[in-house]
Amino acid sequence: MDEKKKAVRAYHRNVGIVIGLILLVFLIIPVFVKSPYILNIFVLVFYISTLSMAWNLLGGMTGQNSLGHAAYMGLGAYASCLLITNTGANPWVAAIFGMIVVGLVAGVIFYPCFILRGPYFTLVSIAFGEALRQFIINSSFFGRASGIGLPFGKDSWLDFRFGSKVPYYYVGLVMVILIYLLMKKIERSRMGYALRTIREDEDAAAAMGINPTRYKIMAVVVSAMVAALVGFYYACYIRYIDPELMIQAKSTESVLPAVVGGAAYVEGPLVGGLLMIPLSEFLRAKYSAMLPGINMLLYAIVLLIVIRFRPSGILGWYMHSRVKTFIDTKILRKPSVEILEEVEFSVSHGRKEA
Amino acid sequence: MADTPIIEVKHITKRFKGLTAVKDVSFSIREGGITGMIGPNGAGKSTTFNMICGYYPPTEGQIFFRGKDITNKKAYEYTKMKIARTFQIMKPLKNLSVLENVAASTYFGHDPARNERDAKERALELLEFTGLYDKRHVLAKDMGTPDQKRLEMARALGTKPELLFLDENMAGLNPAETEEAIRLIRRINESGVTIFLIEHIMQAVVSLCEEVIVLHHGEKIAEGTPSVVMNDPNVMEVYLGKKEGSHA
Repeated sequence: MDEKKKAVRAYHRNVGIVIGLILLVFLIIPVFVKSPYILNIFVLVFYISTLSMAWNLLGGMTGQNSLGHAAYMGLGAYASCLLITNTGANPWVAAIFGMIVVGLVAGVIFYPCFILRGPYFTLVSIAFGEALRQFIINSSFFGRASGIGLPFGKDSWLDFRFGSKVPYYYVGLVMVILIYLLMKKIERSRMGYALRTIREDEDAAAAMGINPTRYKIMAVVVSAMVAALVGFYYACYIRYIDPELMIQAKSTESVLPAVVGGAAYVEGPLVGGLLMIPLSEFLRAKYSAMLPGINMLLYAIVLLIVIRFRPSGILGWYMHSRVKTFIDTKILRKPSVEILEEVEFSVSHGRKEA
Repeated sequence: MADTPIIEVKHITKRFKGLTAVKDVSFSIREGGITGMIGPNGAGKSTTFNMICGYYPPTEGQIFFRGKDITNKKAYEYTKMKIARTFQIMKPLKNLSVLENVAASTYFGHDPARNERDAKERALELLEFTGLYDKRHVLAKDMGTPDQKRLEMARALGTKPELLFLDENMAGLNPAETEEAIRLIRRINESGVTIFLIEHIMQAVVSLCEEVIVLHHGEKIAEGTPSVVMNDPNVMEVYLGKKEGSHA
C-alpha cells in the first residue's frame, strides 16, 4: 500500500512538473519574442480559446449547439464600452458590469427557448445574434454602424490601456488559465454531471432529479458571461468596437477550436485554438498574396480533414493513442488505474458479489 | 411496517385525445414489499407507470405518496422524495463510463454527494453491489442489454431511494440472466427499498412479488397474491383465452 501511495504521489508530481514547464514557457515567451506580430497571434489564441471554452460549456458539455457566441461577446464589449465612455467608469468595474448585463440578457432570452430541443435552440441562437446586431446598427445609443472607440492615453493598469502588447499578453494568459480552472471545476461539480447527463438523455436526467431547464439556463448564463469577459478584453485590446464584431462568421470562429480540439474535453478548445489560430495566421501571411482567398481555402481543407478523419477532435484521438500510452508510462510514470483508484478512494474491492 | 401504503393510487384515468389508455384504476403499494403489475401488451401498464413516475399527469384521479398528494409533481422532483425509476428502453448516458453514469446520479436526490470524490466512492460501492465493478471504465454504449439493465438499476439506486419503480427490467434477458436479475432485485428489497415493478415474465413476478395487480384494456381486473391472481378466472381468460363452453 505504501509503495502504491508513493507511485501515485510521484505521478502527481510528474504531472505537476509538466504543467509547470508549459506555464513557464508561456510566461517567458514575451521576454524573448519581441515581434508585435507574433505577440498579437498569442493574444488571438488566448481570447479566441477562452471564447471557445465558453462555447464548449454549452455545445460540448451540455450538447446545446449555439451559433450566437459572437453576439454575447459583442454585447459584453458594448455594455462595458458604453459604461466607460458615458460615465467614465473604471474598465475593471465595466468588465463586471458587462458580464452581468450579458448574463441577465442571455438568461431572460433563453428561458422560454429551452422548451425547444436540439436544432431549434441553434436556430434561436443565430436569430438572437443577428437581431442584436441589427438593433445595434440602427440605434444611435450604440453608435450605429460607426461603432464606439475607447479613449486613448497614457499606459495604465487602472485603465487597462497599454501601447505595448506585452501586458495584454499576460492578462490574456491569466484569463485563459482562470477560465480553464473554472471550466474544470464545473466539469467535476454537480452542475457538470447534470449538464453531461442532459446532453446524453434529458429523460434520464429528469428521472435522476435534474431539472433540465434550470441547468441549461445556468449553462447559458455562465457561457454568455465568459463570452462577455472576452468581449471586454477584446475591446480594451483593439480599443474600438463596431457591429461587425457580431457577424455570424465570428460565432463560427468560436466553435472551431473546440470542435477541432475535441468538444468532449475541457482542454479541447485550448488545443484547437493553439493549433488552428497560428495556422490560420500563417496561411494568411504566406499565401494570401499569391491568390486572394487561397489561405481560407487551405484552412477549410485542413478543417475538413480533421473533421472527416478525427470527428472526436485531436484530443479524442490522443486519448486512445499510443502517444498517450507512451507519455503516460514512460514520462509521467502513471500507475495503473486500479492503483490510482485504490489510493484515491476509500472503497475496497473485496466484497465482490458472486 | 407502516399502516399507510407508501403509494396510493386513486381512480386514475389517462386519455390521449380520443383513446382511453387507463380507466379508473386504483391500487396501493405496501411499504417494504415488492409489488408487481402485469398485463398483456397494450393493457396500460406503461401508461400507469409513467403517471406514477410523474412523466405525465393523469387526466383524472390522484396519486399519494405516504399520504401526500404527488399527482402533479414533475419527474425531476421525485428523487428528492426518495423515489427513483428505471426505463424499459434503457437510457444509459452513452458516452460516459459506467462509473460516471452512476456517479452522476449520486449527485442528486435527497442526500446528494458533496463532491466528485464522494460521488465516485458511492458509485463504486453501488457497482460492487450490482456486479458491474469490473466494467466501471467501459462506456455505457459499449455494454450489452443485461449490463445496461443493471446499470439502470445502479443509477436509480445512486439517488438513495426508498421506493424504486422498475419498468420491465427483465425484458430481453435469457433465463440465466433473469435469474440473476431476480436475485439482485431481492437484495435491493432486502436492503430496505420498496419495489414496484412492471413485468412480462411470469416466472419473475411469481417468484418476487407478494402482491400483483393485473391490468387489461386499461382496467384493473384482479389483484392479490400471485397464486390468487393466477387462479382468477378473469386473468386466465386474458392470458390463455376463454374456456370452452364457459360462454353461451
